[in-house]
Amino acid sequence: MGSYILRRLGYMAVTLLIVTILGYIIIELPPGSYVESEVERLRAQGGNLTQGQIDALYRRYGLDKPEYVRFWLWISAFVRGDFGQAFAYNLPVSQIIFDRLGLTLAFSLSSLVFSWVVAIAAGVYSATHRYTLPDYVIAVLQFIGLAVPNFLLALVLMVFAQNVFHMQVAGLFSSQYVDAPWSIAKVLDLLNHLWIPIIVIGASNTAWLSRVMRANLLDVLNMQYVQTARAKGLTENVVVWKHAFRNAIHPLIMVLGSSLPGIISGETIVAIVLNLPTTGPIYFNALIQKDMYLAGAFLVFLAIALLIGNLGADILLAWVDPRIRYE
Amino acid sequence: MSDKPGPKAPEQDIVLRVNDLHTYFYTDLGISRALNGVSFDIPVGKVMGVVGESGCGKSVTALSIMRLLPKSSKIIKGDITYFRRPQHNGSAGASDQIKQKSENGQQGFWIDENAGKVQEIRLNDLDPMGPEMRHIRGAELAMIFQEPMTSLNPVYTIGDQISETIMLHQRVNKAEGLRRAIDILEKVGMSNPKLIVGNYPHQLSGGMRQRAMIAMGLSCHPAVLFADEPTTALDVTTEAQILDLMRDLQAQFGTTIVFITHNLGVVAQMCDSVSVMYLGRIIEQTSVDEIFYNPKHPYTSALLNSIPHIGSRSKERLQPIRGVVPDPYSKIVGCPFHPRCNAFMPGKCDKAMPAQTVISPGHNVRCFLYSDEVEE
Repeated sequence: MGSYILRRLGYMAVTLLIVTILGYIIIELPPGSYVESEVERLRAQGGNLTQGQIDALYRRYGLDKPEYVRFWLWISAFVRGDFGQAFAYNLPVSQIIFDRLGLTLAFSLSSLVFSWVVAIAAGVYSATHRYTLPDYVIAVLQFIGLAVPNFLLALVLMVFAQNVFHMQVAGLFSSQYVDAPWSIAKVLDLLNHLWIPIIVIGASNTAWLSRVMRANLLDVLNMQYVQTARAKGLTENVVVWKHAFRNAIHPLIMVLGSSLPGIISGETIVAIVLNLPTTGPIYFNALIQKDMYLAGAFLVFLAIALLIGNLGADILLAWVDPRIRYE
Repeated sequence: MSDKPGPKAPEQDIVLRVNDLHTYFYTDLGISRALNGVSFDIPVGKVMGVVGESGCGKSVTALSIMRLLPKSSKIIKGDITYFRRPQHNGSAGASDQIKQKSENGQQGFWIDENAGKVQEIRLNDLDPMGPEMRHIRGAELAMIFQEPMTSLNPVYTIGDQISETIMLHQRVNKAEGLRRAIDILEKVGMSNPKLIVGNYPHQLSGGMRQRAMIAMGLSCHPAVLFADEPTTALDVTTEAQILDLMRDLQAQFGTTIVFITHNLGVVAQMCDSVSVMYLGRIIEQTSVDEIFYNPKHPYTSALLNSIPHIGSRSKERLQPIRGVVPDPYSKIVGCPFHPRCNAFMPGKCDKAMPAQTVISPGHNVRCFLYSDEVEE
C-alpha cells in the first residue's frame, strides 16, 4: 500500500504538470490580454495612451515576454509559493484567495456534511422501509431536488426567506457584521445566513446521493450474507449498519473524492446569486477578465484538490473493502 | 390407528414440532402458497432430511422456523414449538439479562422456575426481530446456507464474523471470542485456523468458506442446525468432505440437524429420517431405510426412479417425472401431484386432498392408494 501511494503521488505530479500546461494554454487562447482590456478601459475614460505607455503596461504586467517564458516564470514562482499578482485587484493572488478561503471552506464543508448526513439517513431509511409512505415522500423530494436547478432554488428560497421570515438573505453576514471583528453574535449571524446556501447547494447533491444510497443498499440487503447476519441473532440495526451499509457505500466514497475541488471553489452560480463572499465568483470573474495569474492559481488548486480527493477516495475504499487491493 | 401424525413420540425426545404450518408470499403476481400445512416432529439428536424439487417449500420451511422470512411473506396458520432444554439456554449472562426483564412482568417463558425443565416456546408467537427470537436465533437454532460464496460478508474477516456470534450469545470479550472461533475452526477441520481467522472470505475456497459457515453455525452449540443445501454449490470432492465433516460433528456434538437437499444420495448418506415435500406439503415421512426400500407415495417412487444407480443394468433408462411442478399461485384441487402421477385415479385424486395417514409405525404418507382419509 505504501509503495502504491508513492507511485500515485508520482503520477499526480505528472498529471498536475499537464493540467497546468493545458490550463495555461486555454486561458491564453482567447485573443487579447488584460493589458488590452485595460487600455480599452482607459481610452473609454478619455485617456490617450501612447505606444510607449502601452509597452510600459505590458512590461509592468510581464506580458511582453513569449508565452513559454511567462509560463515558466509563473510555474516556477508558483512552486516557491509566489502565485503572482492579480491584475484587476492589484493585490497578490495569494491574498485574494486566502482572504476568502476560510469562509469558503467553512461553507462548503458544512454543506458537504449536511448533504451526506441527510443523504445517508434518507437513503438508508427508504431502502429499509421500501414501498412505505415515507419512502414515497422521500422519493418525491429527491426528484424535486434533482430536477430544480440550484440557482432557481436559491432565488425561490431568497424570496421566501425575505417575505416570510423578513430575513436579509444575501451574503453570509448581516450588514452590521460584515466588517466587525469575530464575536459570538457574528458567528450566530453567520449560522443564520448559512442555512439557505447549504440547503440550496445540498439539495441536488443530497437527492442524488440518497438515490444512490437507496439503490445500493437495496441490492446489498438481498445478499445472502445479510441473511447470515440476521441468522446470527443480531439486531436489525447491526445487520443494516454493520453488515449491509459498509458494502453499499462504495459509490458515495468515489463521489466524495471528486467533490473535493467543489470545497475550494464553492458553487459558483449559487454564490453569485446569493452574493456569497466565496472564492467561486472570483474565479469566474478572473476567467472573464483574463486575470490570468488569479485564474491559473485557481486552476492549479482545483486540480490538486481533485487529485488528492481521488487518492483519498481510493485509500478509503481499500480500507472499507478488503477485496480492493492496489498493488 | 391414529390418523394424525405427530404427537406419538413423547415430548422429551422432540426438540422442534411444526404443526399445520401455512406460509404465504404476497407478490405482484398474486398469493404464492409456499407452505400448505406442513407438520413434523424433529427428534433430539437425529438428522432429518427434507427433500423435494426446487420450489416445493424446503427452504421456506426452515426460514419460517428461524423467523427469517422476507417481509413479503407471512405465516398465516400453524404452530412452531421449540422445546428448549436447559443445556441450550444461551449463556448465563444473556439469560440473566432476560430474566430481569421477566421480573417486570413480561416474557413469562423466561421465568427461572423453568430451569432444569424442558420449556415450550411457540416461535410463531414471537416478534421475528424481537429480543427473544434473536436470543434463540444463532445460539439455539442456527442455519447455514446454500451459497458459501455469498454467505459470508466480504468486508469482515472470518475471525470477526465467527467471533461476532460467540460474543453476542456467550457474552465474552473480543479476545475470548476469537480464541473460541479458532477452536471451532479447528474442529471443522480447517488447517491453520490461527491464520484463517485473519483472512477475508475472498481469500478462501468454496469448501473452506462452507467449513467456516459450519463453524459459525455450530459456534454456540445450537439445539438444531438447519443446513439448507450446504453442499449444492460445491464440487463433488468437496461435497464428500463436507458431508463427512457434518456427520463427524453430529456424532461429536449430538446436534440435531435438519438437512435440506434435493439430492437423495446425500439423504442416504446423512439422514436418519426423511420428509418428502411436494408443493408446500409433506407427502411422505419415514426413516431413511423405508424411503429407499419401501417408498409408498408415487412421487417418492418417481423421484427414486429418476436418479441413476451405480451398477444398475446398463440399458435401463432413467425415468423422468413427466410434467413440471405447477406454479404455486394456482390452487390445485385434490392431490397436488395428480397431474403428474402415474397412479392417478380420476374422480378421486382430483377431487380431494388425501390426509397424512400413518401406514406403519414411523411411516406416514398422503395418498389415496393407502387410505381414503380426506383432509378436512
